[in-house]
Amino acid sequence: MAVASIPHGALVDGHGEADQLYVETRELRLQGFLLFLVSDCVLFSSFIFAYLYMRNSGQGWPPPGIHRLDVAFAALNSVILFGSGATMHYALENWKHGNFGRYALFMISTIVLGAMFLGGQAYEYTNLIFNEHVSWAGSGIFGASFFTLTGMHGFHVSVGVIYLTILLLQSVHGIYTKEKYFGLTAGTLYWHFVDVIWVALFSLFYLL
Amino acid sequence: MEPAMVERTIAIIGGIIVAIVSAIALKNDWKTPGLDNQVFKLMLGLLVIGAIVALLAGVGVLGTFPKAA
Repeated sequence: MAVASIPHGALVDGHGEADQLYVETRELRLQGFLLFLVSDCVLFSSFIFAYLYMRNSGQGWPPPGIHRLDVAFAALNSVILFGSGATMHYALENWKHGNFGRYALFMISTIVLGAMFLGGQAYEYTNLIFNEHVSWAGSGIFGASFFTLTGMHGFHVSVGVIYLTILLLQSVHGIYTKEKYFGLTAGTLYWHFVDVIWVALFSLFYLL
Repeated sequence: MEPAMVERTIAIIGGIIVAIVSAIALKNDWKTPGLDNQVFKLMLGLLVIGAIVALLAGVGVLGTFPKAA
């Protein structure tokens, strides 16, 4: 394999060899990252199928005594998250084309929109717990599945916000170049993944 | 204006903007080669669908339920 033939000290020997190492390992790293996303997808899928199974074996949905979730607010919060997916994509595109100022602008927008989504989720949780009296443990299957799935997604968004902030700081400090930016590609893939998972969760919990 | 109406209005406007911007990004990336770009295209396609779903939810086409008996 090409990777095995590269000397261990290639990274410190000079830029030419380091670039060669980057080119030859980029595809492997990409495949590894995609595999991670696939495994994450399996995790979400298993919870989603468990939720669907329990939902269809119960006495109607949502169970008696629990109101329908607020669709209008969820639609707004979803648009915020989907918007952050678009800004993240344009951040990467601008980096590829050398527009670093625009890259930073789009990246900051993505982080802010991601944080706004988390704020919206926190507001929704607060409303559900204190006004609707829905809780993770005390509201049966509905509360358990809703808080587990959306909480797990929220955790991914939180990690994503931190991850993107680190990527922004790294790019400001010159870790990435116009030619070598795999970290930014991985960050964009991760953020798109988080968006796409929310398409499924939003449809399942609020629209069906 | 009721808060729900404000939320729906922002969701509709935002959904239209995000759907159009994502569709343009998808169109621009359509012919790019490479594994990462193929995944980006898939993700952008799903993002367009998500934005349209959120837009329809904002309009009231999706997610409107009959009142409980």
